[in-house]
Amino acid sequence: MDFGFTDEQALLRESVTRYLEKNYSFEARRALVRSDRPFSPEVWATFTELGLLGLPFPEGVGGLGGSVVDVVAIAEPFGEHLLVEPYLPTILLAGRALAAAGEHPVARDWLARIVAGDAHGALAHEEGRGTPDPARVATRCRRSGDGYRLDGEKRLVLGAAHADVLVVTARIDDGTGGLALLVVEPGASGVRITPFRTIDGRSAAHVGFDAVEVPAEHCLTTDAHAAITATLADAVVALAAEGVGAMTALLRRTAEYAATRKQFGVPIAGFQAVAHRLADMRIACTKARATLLRTAALAEAGRAAPRDISVLKAQVGRLGRAVGEAAVQTHGGVGTTDELAVGHYLKRLLAIDAMFGDSEYHLRLVGAGTPAV
Amino acid sequence: MDLDSGPDLDAFRREVAEFLDTAPTDAIREAGRKTTSVFAPFDETMAWHRILARKGWAAPGWPVEHGGVDWTVEQRFVFTEEYCRRDLPPLLPNGLKMIGPLLIDLGTEEQKRRHLPGILAGDDYWTQGYSEPGAGSDLASLSCAAVPDGDDYVITGSKIWTTLAHRANRMFMLVRTSTAGKKQQGITFLLLDRLDLPGLRIRPIVGLDGFPEQCEVFFDEVRVPQSARVGAENDGWTVAKHLLSHERGGSTGSPWLDRFVRMIRAAAAERTSPFGGVLADDPVFQRDLGELEADVASMRHIEELAISGHPIADDPSFPSVNKTVNSELTQRLTTLMARVSGLEGLALQLDALGIGSGTAPLGDDFDLVSMPYYLNSRAASIYAGTNEVQRDLIARSLVAGR
Ligand SMILES: Cc1cc2nc3c(=O)[nH]c(=O)nc-3n(C[C@H](O)[C@H](O)[C@H](O)COP(=O)(O)OP(=O)(O)OC[C@H]3O[C@@H](n4cnc5c(N)ncnc54)[C@H](O)[C@@H]3O)c2cc1C
Repeated sequence: MDFGFTDEQALLRESVTRYLEKNYSFEARRALVRSDRPFSPEVWATFTELGLLGLPFPEGVGGLGGSVVDVVAIAEPFGEHLLVEPYLPTILLAGRALAAAGEHPVARDWLARIVAGDAHGALAHEEGRGTPDPARVATRCRRSGDGYRLDGEKRLVLGAAHADVLVVTARIDDGTGGLALLVVEPGASGVRITPFRTIDGRSAAHVGFDAVEVPAEHCLTTDAHAAITATLADAVVALAAEGVGAMTALLRRTAEYAATRKQFGVPIAGFQAVAHRLADMRIACTKARATLLRTAALAEAGRAAPRDISVLKAQVGRLGRAVGEAAVQTHGGVGTTDELAVGHYLKRLLAIDAMFGDSEYHLRLVGAGTPAV
Repeated sequence: MDLDSGPDLDAFRREVAEFLDTAPTDAIREAGRKTTSVFAPFDETMAWHRILARKGWAAPGWPVEHGGVDWTVEQRFVFTEEYCRRDLPPLLPNGLKMIGPLLIDLGTEEQKRRHLPGILAGDDYWTQGYSEPGAGSDLASLSCAAVPDGDDYVITGSKIWTTLAHRANRMFMLVRTSTAGKKQQGITFLLLDRLDLPGLRIRPIVGLDGFPEQCEVFFDEVRVPQSARVGAENDGWTVAKHLLSHERGGSTGSPWLDRFVRMIRAAAAERTSPFGGVLADDPVFQRDLGELEADVASMRHIEELAISGHPIADDPSFPSVNKTVNSELTQRLTTLMARVSGLEGLALQLDALGIGSGTAPLGDDFDLVSMPYYLNSRAASIYAGTNEVQRDLIARSLVAGR
């Protein structure tokens, strides 16, 4: 067993870290988040050059044939730098769902554009019931003429406001109850996009479909359950890696602060209440990172069971939140401001917890012994 | 023990209800629904303060001769209950709960005459200038200096976390007037009756929730008359500590926490559980809410006993117990609120939260406030003395003298 990164992975991680350190400082990120732009085209261009956009796709579609561990290697630094670029929606959600749909010309066409850095995508899947379970999708897709008619409402679709293509899950109304995967253009008649920013600086939208006509060839499959489950499992691993990156950064910053901030003439780290909280943060980070790396290795080998994914999501959600709250408390007043990175890490960790089922949800799946996802 | 003393509560309840149903404007009600902090939206809350003051109900906790209300414990709770039930914004605490009672006890006749009417009427807003960048938990190490010069003090230094200083027209503050002896002994308590003084500059600080609530205040040779001092020079620490005693047996925070419980239950009745069915019917959710509701009940019992004069509140650590319980319940309740909102809570909706903005929320009112409330409440275990410091005080009072 070896849970370390390979030399190649370490190299890629190193170049991503170096690039972000130079170009994605907290101030630069903040300027970006405050601007009208949802993300930075320059960063995206660099990601294209570094090969990150093709990383998790098979070579047959222009990808690099990378694994989920390759993604973990770069997603941790993403988390450490609070990256708001749409890598998750475009590459890991829409892109992977398109790739999972198999040899479909429409999917292949969009995927090629995404890998080339020429298009952005979004996966319109979750419907706001606190679960990513494909079995709970209520958006409906009915036969209509030669194609389909789509009705439903997707909540908090990351990247939807600027996506060139929406990949949509919908329950098919043909008696089989299967899950369809459809390619929908955001400009199509009947598509309602309500854009907003999230608390962690991302661009997202609620997306409604009112009798949207979808041509038959834009239906990638009517049996997408397994494809979506696999896509979400890998996305959870990547998101967990971002979470662990954010936790690691918080631990480092908070320890530094506690060692230098003085009250009563001594560094606050010398007070046992503060020292023990730092220790708990260390313990939480160790647990979360071990579970991340072990689960990523399982996923790479194709052996991650739904339970493993739920354990990872629950742990990173719960421990990440605890680390975020502990970091704010340890910083005192300055921790409660928008001016320090600390609060932004907390908000990122809250968002990570809430996506794809929160820690409470996954803990209950684990405890029930019958995890979905 | 006697549960039912006092006048006819039903009639009183009707009188309160009728007033609270008719007196607030729509903007005040909107401010109540959009409150996401102990500091409710400023303009509307001050307008509501003035309406209550005209009715004579702004300061139930004050002595009657200074404009307080002659209510029993039960009546005070009935008032607060009816108040919270209507989602009205809680009045801002600094004048009514802090500097007002302090001046009643320790102010000169001139200071009382000058300042109490404006505090009671809601014409003035006082900000609290204690903390400094270098002096937080260790408040006594504060260094913002006031140097006597003729009949004045000349203040130079800075304050931080001065809540709502950018909206206030008054400030009570602690300054350093001596560096000799123990650090507590060189502190003086001052009243600033305006904030547009030459040399005074205010910088608002944006919080986790995206709103400017805190401020940093810079003093560059700011002049104030020495008559603005409360207590003796270098005796400000005693004055500041006296303020603490007003938290003892005075608070009625639990009806506001009950309001959280009600909001959560109502929201859960309208949402599906990820495991199917209605969230309010989900036994795990019920247990979580039940635990919080029971804790809120205990907090209410603490407050009832304290207001009735029970010796439970005489314990020296009582204010710290009260503060810790209240702040941690606020955090746990708003955490559950954010959890119930789930993904919906992730949308940043600063415009929709603005009073009179006309921007419709993306979801319902609950989802609009749950996340900002959670984020704002992270400060509850930090302000008014961090909970670590409070626990130290509680422990010390137990061990002292043994
Ligand atoms: C929202 C908000 C509103 C506020 N409003 C006001 C206001 O209106 N006026 C005003 O004057 N101030 C106000 N404050 C300031 C507040 O009182 C201070 O933030 C608080 O006293 C803590 O000081 P600090 O922020 O410097 O943190 P620090 O004192 O630096 O504390 C940092 C961490 O160290 C811990 N710590 C420090 N000393 C000890 C110890 N001896 N033992 C164990 N742990 C310790 C703390 O608990 C905390 O976790 C406000 C603060 C906030 C966040």
